[in-house]
Formats: sequence, C-alpha cells, structure tokens
Amino acid sequence: MAKKRKEIQEVSNQISRRMLLVGGLQVVFGLILVGRLYQLQILDSDSYLKLSEKNQFDHRLVIAPRGRILDSKNRLLAGNSEVFELVVIPARTKDLKKLLYNIDAIIGLSGEDINRIIEIAKNQPDFLGISIKSNLTQRELSHLAIRSAVLEGVLFQKNFNRIYPQGKLLSHVTGYVSGITESEVKKNRQLQRLVGLKTGKSGLEKSLDESLRGIVGKERIEVNSRGKPVSFISDRLPKQGNDHQLTIDIDIQSYAVHRLKLGNSEQVELAKSSVQEAINKDAALRAHINIGETMILRDANSRYVPPETGAVVIMDIHTGAIVAMASSPAYDPNLFAGRLTNRAWHNLNKHPRVPLLNRVIAGLYSPGSTFKMVVYAAALEAGVISSDTSYTCRGFFEFGDRNFYCWQEKGHGTVNGRQAISQSCDVYFYQIALKTGIDRIQNMAIRMGLGVMTDVGIPGEKLGIMPNRAWKKNNRGTVWTPGETVIAGIGQGFVLTTPIQLAVMTARLANGKKAVKARLLADLIKNSEDFLPLNINSTVLREIQRSMRSVVSSTRGTARRYELDGYGMAGKTGTVQVKRISKIEREEGIIENIDRRWKDRDHALFVGYAPYDKPKYAISVIVEHGGSGSSMAAPIARDILKFALERLKI
Amino acid sequence: MNWTSKILAIPWLMITGMLILVIIGTMALYSASDGVWTSSVQQHLLRSAIGFLLASFIAFIPINWIFRASFIMWAFIVCLLTVIPFIGVGAGATRWINLGFMNFQPSEPAKIAVILFLARYLSLRTFDQIDKLIIYLPAVFIVAIPTLLVLRQPDLGTGLMIFVGGIAVIFVSGVPKRYVFLGIGTFAASIPIIWGQLYDYQKARLLTFLNPEKDVLGAGWQITQSKIALGSGGLFGKGYLQGSQSQLDYLPEKQTDFVFTLIGEEFGFVGSMTIIFIYFLIILSITGIGLRAKNRFTRLVASGLAMVVFLYVFINIAMVTGVLPVVGAPLPLISYGGTAMLTTFLILGICINLSLNIVKEDIEIS
Repeated sequence: MAKKRKEIQEVSNQISRRMLLVGGLQVVFGLILVGRLYQLQILDSDSYLKLSEKNQFDHRLVIAPRGRILDSKNRLLAGNSEVFELVVIPARTKDLKKLLYNIDAIIGLSGEDINRIIEIAKNQPDFLGISIKSNLTQRELSHLAIRSAVLEGVLFQKNFNRIYPQGKLLSHVTGYVSGITESEVKKNRQLQRLVGLKTGKSGLEKSLDESLRGIVGKERIEVNSRGKPVSFISDRLPKQGNDHQLTIDIDIQSYAVHRLKLGNSEQVELAKSSVQEAINKDAALRAHINIGETMILRDANSRYVPPETGAVVIMDIHTGAIVAMASSPAYDPNLFAGRLTNRAWHNLNKHPRVPLLNRVIAGLYSPGSTFKMVVYAAALEAGVISSDTSYTCRGFFEFGDRNFYCWQEKGHGTVNGRQAISQSCDVYFYQIALKTGIDRIQNMAIRMGLGVMTDVGIPGEKLGIMPNRAWKKNNRGTVWTPGETVIAGIGQGFVLTTPIQLAVMTARLANGKKAVKARLLADLIKNSEDFLPLNINSTVLREIQRSMRSVVSSTRGTARRYELDGYGMAGKTGTVQVKRISKIEREEGIIENIDRRWKDRDHALFVGYAPYDKPKYAISVIVEHGGSGSSMAAPIARDILKFALERLKI
Repeated sequence: MNWTSKILAIPWLMITGMLILVIIGTMALYSASDGVWTSSVQQHLLRSAIGFLLASFIAFIPINWIFRASFIMWAFIVCLLTVIPFIGVGAGATRWINLGFMNFQPSEPAKIAVILFLARYLSLRTFDQIDKLIIYLPAVFIVAIPTLLVLRQPDLGTGLMIFVGGIAVIFVSGVPKRYVFLGIGTFAASIPIIWGQLYDYQKARLLTFLNPEKDVLGAGWQITQSKIALGSGGLFGKGYLQGSQSQLDYLPEKQTDFVFTLIGEEFGFVGSMTIIFIYFLIILSITGIGLRAKNRFTRLVASGLAMVVFLYVFINIAMVTGVLPVVGAPLPLISYGGTAMLTTFLILGICINLSLNIVKEDIEIS
C-alpha cells in the first residue's frame, strides 16, 4: 500500500512537472509574439508609417456634391455648378516653386497664390494635393492641357462651386461656404485629404453643414512604377448631401429687401453723372458701392444717400413660418465660394454698417414703444389696472427728484390704456410699469418670446436682455431701482431685443392661443407638433389687439396714415432715441431728425399684423437711424404686409 | 466545500479577463464598422451575454456527468464530422451545419470533446499501465480521427488545434520519455505524407508565408497590409477610430481574423501588449486550476483547455504579424463570430466546474 501511495505521488509530480513544462513552452512562444510586435511596432515603426501614408495617398476621397437649399416654392437659393480645379501633388514634383512659375507663365497666378501654395506645402504631408486654381476656364484648361508634358505632378480635378443665384437677397439666411480652415482640419483630419472641399461658414450653410455635405466617395488609384495613376476604381460613390427647403418665399423676400432699403427716399440712376460725382466725394456712399450696392437714393433734402440700414422679418402667425427676413446692408455669398480677395474681404469686414451682421437675429435694439403691449398686458393680468383706468399726461412724470418726459411735450391729457397705446403716451406707461413691477413685466415679456432664443437655425443668434431684479443683482451687482422700472415701461434702459423676437411677440399677440415659434425649415412646419399654449387671458389679449388696431384706425393713432386698405392692420410704432437731444440743441431748435448726422438719428420701429380680423402675417421692421417709427417703419411694414397678402390670392 | 470556499474557488481572474476582452472586442468592432453602432456590434455583445449564461449553466452540472458524457460527445461529433461533406454548407470549405437559427461548426466543440474524452480515458489508466505503449494507441486514435476529418474539410487551423491540444493532454498524462521521442520521430517522418495530402491553396499559403513580398497583391497582400497597419501604429497607436489602414479598408477581415491588427494600429504596442497580457492571465488561471487539483481528470482537462486558448491566441497573432501563414483563425472574444466565442465560454464553464471540484479524488468523479 505504501508503495502504491509512493507511486501515485510520483505520477502526480510527473504531471505537475509536465504541466509546468508545457506552460513554460507557452510562455516562450508568447515571448516570440512579443518580440515580433516589438520589432514591428517599435523598431520598424517609421518605415511602416511611411508605407501607410503611401496607402492613404493611393486611396483618394471624392467630394460629394453639396445638398441644395430651396425656397418654399422650390426655387434654388443655393446650388452647385461643376468646375475644374488645378491640383498639384508636391510628392510628384521635383521642384514645386519652378512648377508654379511654369503654371504662372501659362495661366497667370498672383504672387499671393504662389506663396500660399508653398506655405501649405510646408505644413502638410507631401502626398496631399493642393488646389492651385479652382474654377478653370475652358481657355485655361486647353492651354494647360497642351503643356501637360512639362507639368509633372499636376492634375485636373472635377469639383463643385457653390452658387447663390439670388445673390445678395438672402445672404444672411443661407450664409456662405469657403475652403476648410486649420481648426476644422484639427477636429477632423480626414478633411485635409478632401482637396477643394468647402464647408459652411455662416448661416444655414454652417448649421446644416453636416447634412448638406453628403457622404464622400472612396476611389482607389492604381499607379504605375513612376507613380502616375493608371486607373481609378470606385469603392464607394459619393452621395450628394440632403436638400433643404425653407419657408422663405423669394418673391416676398425680394420685395422686403427692396422696400426696406428704399425707406422714404427715391431711387436714382447710378449712371447719372451727378450721382457718380456724389459717390466720388462721399466715402460712405463709396463704401456701399464697394460691397456691390447698386441702389443709391435721394432723400427729402435732395441729398444722395445710401440705402436704409435695418431689418425686416415677416412670419405666419399660425405656423411660425418665416416668409421673409431681410437684413440691410447685405453681401454677396458668391464672393466667398470663389477665392475672396483681400480687398473684397476688407471692404466687407471694415464697412461701417457691418454688412456681415444678420440684424434679424443678432442686431440688438431697445424695443422702445413696441414694448408697451407687454407692459399693458402684464398690468392687466396682474390686476393693478383695468382697461378703464385713466391717467393724466402733462408731458412729463415726476418721480423722485427726476422728471421723465413724454415724447409729446404738451402732454396727452387724460388717456386710458387703449388711447395710451394708440397715441403712445409715455407717461401712462411710466405709471403702470411702476404699479406692475419689473418682475411681472419681465415674466410677460419672456412668455411673449422676448429675451428668449428663437433657435430658428441660423448660428450667431443673440439672446438680448430682458431684465428683472435678479438679473440686475447677478449682472451688475446692484439693486434694481424703481427709476429703472419707469424707463423699462417704455422699452428703454436695459431692455434689448432682436427683430425676430419682436416678430415672435407680435405673432403670439395676434395668434392669441399658442406660443408660436419662428421656423425657417419647411420640414419643421410639416412635422412639427403643436405649439405650447400661450396661457394669457383672452380678454386681456383682446384688449391688447384692439389697442394695436387703434394705433392704425383711430384718428389720433401714431400710424393712422398707414392703414392697409382692404385688410386692416394692427400694430405699434416705436421711436428709439440713440443720442439724447442736448439742451442747447433743444433751444436752438435743431431737432428735426433729417437735419442731424445719420449716426445721431433715432431708430424707427414698427411691429404689426394683418389682416386684423383674420390675422395671417406678423411683421417687425427696424430702420436704424430711420427717424420715427410712424413715418419710416410703419409704411414699410404696411407695404410688405400688403405684398405678402396679395400673393396669397395668386 | 462550504459556500465561502466555493466562491473563492471560482476563477474570478479568468472571468474578469474575459469580460475585459469582450469590451475591447466591442470597441474594436465599433471602430471596424467605421464608428457606427451596427447590428454586428450589438450581436457581439448579445452573444457574449449568452456565453456567460451558458458558462454559468455548465459550471453547476455535476462533474461526473461531464466525465461520463465525454465519450458520447466525442462519438457524436465524430459522426457529425463524418457526414458533414454530405450535409454541410460553406463556400469553398464545408465546415458548417445549418441549424436554421445559426450555422454550427462541429470542429469547434471537437477541440473540447477530444480533450474531455482523452482525459477520461487516461485518468482511468492504472499506474502500472502508463508504462505500456499499447495503452497510448487508443489515445492516439481519439486525437487522430477528428483531426484528420477536420483537415479534410479542409480546415488547417482547427485541425492543428485539435491535434496539438490532444497531444498536450497525452504528454502531460505522463507518457514515458522514450515514447515521447518515438512520437516526435514518427511525426517528423510523416511530414512529406501530410504535405502530399494538403490542398493547393493550403500549399500556396505556406509558400507565400515563406516569402510574402514575392506576391504582394495576391495572397501576401493581407499579411503585408496587416504588418503596415501594426507597424504604423507605433508605441501608442494612431488613436481610437483613427487607424487609417483599417478605416480605409486596406485591412482585410478587420472584423474577424484581423481584428488584432486594428487594435494594434489604433492603440499601438501598448494596446497589443495589453491584449496578450490578458490572454496569458486567462491561460495561467486555467493552468492554475490543474496544478491545484487533486484528481488526474481535472489536471489533464485543464492542461488541454489551457492549450486550446493558447493556440487560439498564438495562431491568430502569429498569423497577423506574419510569423505563421494565414490559416484563418479567429481571436476568441474579440473577433466577430459566434463559434470560437461559444467554445471559449464552454471552456470557461468547464473551468468553473473543475475549480469547484478540485478537492475531489478521481474515484469520486468517475
């Protein structure tokens, strides 16, 4: 038995030894793998990295045509045209500089271009192509083709150029595309390999970029021993980007742009010698001509002036569909799709009236008297006044040790709320604002969409400011004062809004039931769920609507001269002081707007909707330094509403 | 065994290692699908979950059932392998049986069946018997029959794994040294015969392996591109989803046999070492179960199973690094594909079961 046990132990030890032996062998074989990987990934890594780059070069990516942007009636707003692009691959040339001089001799390049290409070549792997010139003409193509034997390392590549057939009409909405930037390449290294790719830099082109860009194709290039491509095998065809339809109607847009720019002046012929003379003398006029402006006006004083600066937005009060949004001055997005010269860029970027700014969403303005509806609604809702409550206006309101003036120096006499809106009595609103308090006013304003992002889809939108006591504490570090409530009552002071927010406010007032939101993409209209309820008492709203109607319909209304015949318009004027009139000026009597420097004149505002009985469109108009809301903004709003409503009949 | 010692006996290291590998595999498949969450990525996770369930089921079967069922399993699989040329499916090679819901590859469980049956046969030999040459004749048959059937499919990689796994069990069981040398001599002498039995494409692969650069666009293409991908990864790799070789489709079979290359390209030498390290921890913990066990059956089975996992890893990585010819072998738990994963979870289940029974004597098991 002992012998047996000893034997068992011996066999057991034998098995353990053999297991360890097998395990040891496994470790040895494992170390072979470790050594092999060390050799591949550490010792020979550099040479394999080169081979992998060569592979990338032989594997070309093909740019997909960009998706189109269309208007509500499927008219082209942004599309593509096919162009030929001359591309050089530095790895395939012996002397890049010499080659560029050769090409320069054939088609003419600027020194700027040559330096740019050499600079790019220094900063990227030499197997990546560099665009020498895009948009080659037929003539350039044939000249280059004849001499292709001496042009080693260049190739012609079919590419797409972005075109905006509507030119300046819609530049702030569509935005523009241009060549990829360094920061974009840093985020996505693949972009570097897409020679000639253009990406959206502003507007919808930017926010919808990924969807518009489509899916790049992959092409394998077989090369012969000298590195010349012999065949292209398509692994994946490029897929065109998605088309996007907008709610914009280009006809209404076109009219709105024209009407806004015209203001109350008269258009003159650019070719007239007196006009040319004026342009030569006047730097402000020249700045407009330099950004492609062709419209020059003659104002009431018979002076030649540039078109008006400002913003218009008109939207459907039921769906929120924006049918037109104009921002003046504008720029031509086609400039960016080609090669923008330094001069053209300078003209745009340094222009005193900032044509690159989309004023509809990013222009910040005091709403002025257009804010009075919010204050009136807040006061009625809070119950601090009724629609019968009257105050007497003597031209100023004494509060503390300070007088707050009404625009009507002689005073409005005793007015109720509706009359105060209609005649835009400031004193009435100073008092009810004080009674209501800034927090309730702010709450109503937010519900109306003021100080709230519309998220309409265009990048760069500004929030504006809709202050209350907490805001002041957080942002200025001081306590809100009652005097600040007083001036907030007439939409001045801290309050800042954008034209699109004012349009949303007007649409909500006209709609009365739903918190309508601004929409720019047609898909959103088709698929959107219903808007949230507005939750404002209908009698309060009815009173606001009647008051807005009386602005146009009553004999003393500030917009009484601009009734929209056949439809009936409701609205509110606003005139925002930009520069306080000095005592000396007041005494000397130079207070007529048109006599002051453009920069010192008041902003003119109007918000409104029509038809009054069956509302369809809401509009907001801001003319920067346009004078008064009633004389400048109201007629523009009336005419654009009329144009839009007439088109419904067609 | 009380509950505490049972819980402690479970090979947690092995389970953790496998879990990490499954996660790495999911990440690699996501990268291989161009960074899109495709159904194959989902499938991979789903199959792993089923695998863990299967393993926990096997873990708690009485061990003597496994012992007794090993012959029936072996015989059944040999039958399947015999009839597969007539009823099987597959392009080029007939390896699969269509079960309706999945394609089943009997050569995969064959690896385990051979080991279990061999371990049973050898652990039943008395100590007087192990010196006698005659008792190793049946053992050689247990290994050789399925090996030859799989080689005829043809499937060189799997055939080799069944063979080496079986030989490892026989070797560990305590064959006297003189028989070991006899075996090696016989094998060496039969190489020319085996060469004659190989198919042309198998020969071509072996020849390509010896000189891959000669045929860069043909059979050597895969291995050349795989080496470029691994080599260009360098120490830290090109970054997740940034492997240009893989993302540009230069890498063939990047979801299956060449998934290690993708990881090596994107995570570099550090990444490849991590994978190898985890696999060796798993192999080590299987061997550890064998070393601690009191019964011969467990020791032999553990040796065999450790060898199977080792072979999977070695053949695959050796293949993608150009150390071995391209034989078509997956990297279990990471490669997309169900059968190798199933085998690995089967192995896990058996290992847990063995580890819960290491104190038992052979008598208690049979």
